[in-house]
Amino acid sequence: MNKEILNQIPADEQPIASKLDSAAETMKVPPTFEWKLETQLMNVYKTKTQPVHGWYIKIIRPVGWAILALCGVFLLSWTIRYLIPGLPSAAGESPSQNISFEARVRAGKICTGPVAVAHNFSVSLTNQDKTGFVILDEQENIGELRSLAWSPNGQQLAVIGNTTGSGNIYLTDSTGDQLRPVLPNSELGYLMDAAWSRDGKLFIMWSAQNNTVVYLMNADGTGLVEIQLDMQIFATPQFAPDGESIVFYGADSSSSGLFEAKLDGSQIRKISPLVEDGSGFAWSQDGSRLAYIEMDRDLGEARLVVEEIATGIKSVIAKLPGRKGSGSWLPESANLSWSLDGKMLTFEFGGSTTDRAVYLAYADGGVPVKLASSAHAPALSADGNCLAYISDKQVFLLDLPGTPLTSPTAMPLLLADLPIGRAIADFRLDKLGWGSEKTPASKQP
Amino acid sequence: MTTLMTIQTQYPLMDDARLAHQARADPEAFAELYHRHITSVYRYHLAHTGNDKDAEDLTSQTFMAALEGIRSYRGTGSYAAWLMGIASRKRARFFRRSGDRPEVPLDAALHVPTPSLPTDKAAYQRLQMDQILGALRNISRDRAEALILCFFSGLSMLEAGLVLGKSEGAVKMLISRGLQDLRTRTSLALEVDYE
Repeated sequence: MNKEILNQIPADEQPIASKLDSAAETMKVPPTFEWKLETQLMNVYKTKTQPVHGWYIKIIRPVGWAILALCGVFLLSWTIRYLIPGLPSAAGESPSQNISFEARVRAGKICTGPVAVAHNFSVSLTNQDKTGFVILDEQENIGELRSLAWSPNGQQLAVIGNTTGSGNIYLTDSTGDQLRPVLPNSELGYLMDAAWSRDGKLFIMWSAQNNTVVYLMNADGTGLVEIQLDMQIFATPQFAPDGESIVFYGADSSSSGLFEAKLDGSQIRKISPLVEDGSGFAWSQDGSRLAYIEMDRDLGEARLVVEEIATGIKSVIAKLPGRKGSGSWLPESANLSWSLDGKMLTFEFGGSTTDRAVYLAYADGGVPVKLASSAHAPALSADGNCLAYISDKQVFLLDLPGTPLTSPTAMPLLLADLPIGRAIADFRLDKLGWGSEKTPASKQP
Repeated sequence: MTTLMTIQTQYPLMDDARLAHQARADPEAFAELYHRHITSVYRYHLAHTGNDKDAEDLTSQTFMAALEGIRSYRGTGSYAAWLMGIASRKRARFFRRSGDRPEVPLDAALHVPTPSLPTDKAAYQRLQMDQILGALRNISRDRAEALILCFFSGLSMLEAGLVLGKSEGAVKMLISRGLQDLRTRTSLALEVDYE
């Protein structure tokens, strides 16, 4: 045992301390496991340190396939146009549409408002013409910028920051000017995330250090209240539309799932035991519907469920095949959100970064459309014209047409590279969010 | 493959921070760090999960993440605390995902490798471990976490404070109260011989 610790322990507790110490001593690492893991680590290290060769080998196959695919598309297009005269020429159409989308985005004609990204304990906002990201708190006065939340009107950005284990919320406007702390002297523990109330007047927060407690606070930093729940919370609660209860992913003494509780912690109700992710549920903008993704491990499928709050009627609007059983290798769902008009939902589904994909589903049913592979953290723009997502350390935008999609849209627009961040964090902590301009743009036809 | 025999002689006196810096470009330096800390990480995960399979899985994830992020370790703080911070996040994620299953199947899955011990002694050790891990689960999470970091992973109170985001004094208090809880609130006290 650490002698420093032993010396500081009162005599009464030393027998227990010795018992813990001797228990620890019996925990031996299995030699085969130790050897096997070392081998794996060294192999991974070796792969990492051969960038030139690895890069060359990795790039050649996709480039070859891309060239082949392009040739195929051109050949097909040429054949169709040869057989059906009168169609506009293939040479000008596709690029002009693409440029048109890009130009409209960069000029702020569509998909207005800044995009905020939380990545690797850093938060950034897109610049004026959306060609890059501006890092907030570049001087790193705040230790870790863990997450972000736009106010309901999209005008204020709340950034959840932690400095030496103490959390606070920092506010800025849509230009990303100086972050200001909401609490002048925070005594809260390490904060994971926060959410706004629908009227923009309250925050709700939670800390992993004590995950049976949530904190409520006015947006100006006054009236901090601690609510003790008789259960654990695994992710940030969201306010229900009436503002009188919260919905969250957590666990009671029997099982985990999606729960609802009154603001004083009473009247806990289990909505679904099959929800497995803190961002796997979302309220529609008008508050009339709650959507959530159930992971049915017995049937081996994921179900997107929409519940009408007024009637309590639940409808399964989309299904995706999963796998049966349990374990960390199973696919998971995350980052579910609605479009403002309540017609579309987007979410991600899959395992690691490479086999994860972004999907679009329609509230009136139908097969969900896989919009992007190897992608995560989807976010719909306020006008419903764009879907932003992260793929391969870059942020992309997809042009969403007004009519329902049945297949992926045109090539995505590369918005900008992801900022590097402060430390490598789990990609599951990545988050994108759209703010609003002062006059929100209407949906383009 | 880098072997323990070669690295032990190569880096006998180098501290963790210098080794971590060197490990950015030198696999053997990383292997040395791995051997120095694998027991701490494994014990940490075993104390939390109670079964060797999950402990091995989480230990692998922890070191893979450490390898990926070795450049982000700036050498200004304790490497052990940095590594256990990764372990702590992996553990949190594990329990977040498996919130609906019992944390510890305290039965034969508990791994106490004692090939050289007589069977009755090995069984006794298993029983002891069962009681201790069960008792840790019956006290508050932050106190249990502080006890596990200091007793099972061998961190100092200062290092445990870095992992927990608390001051050294706060960790001391957590440990003191955690031990007190174990003594007064759990059946563990009955097993301790107070002389």
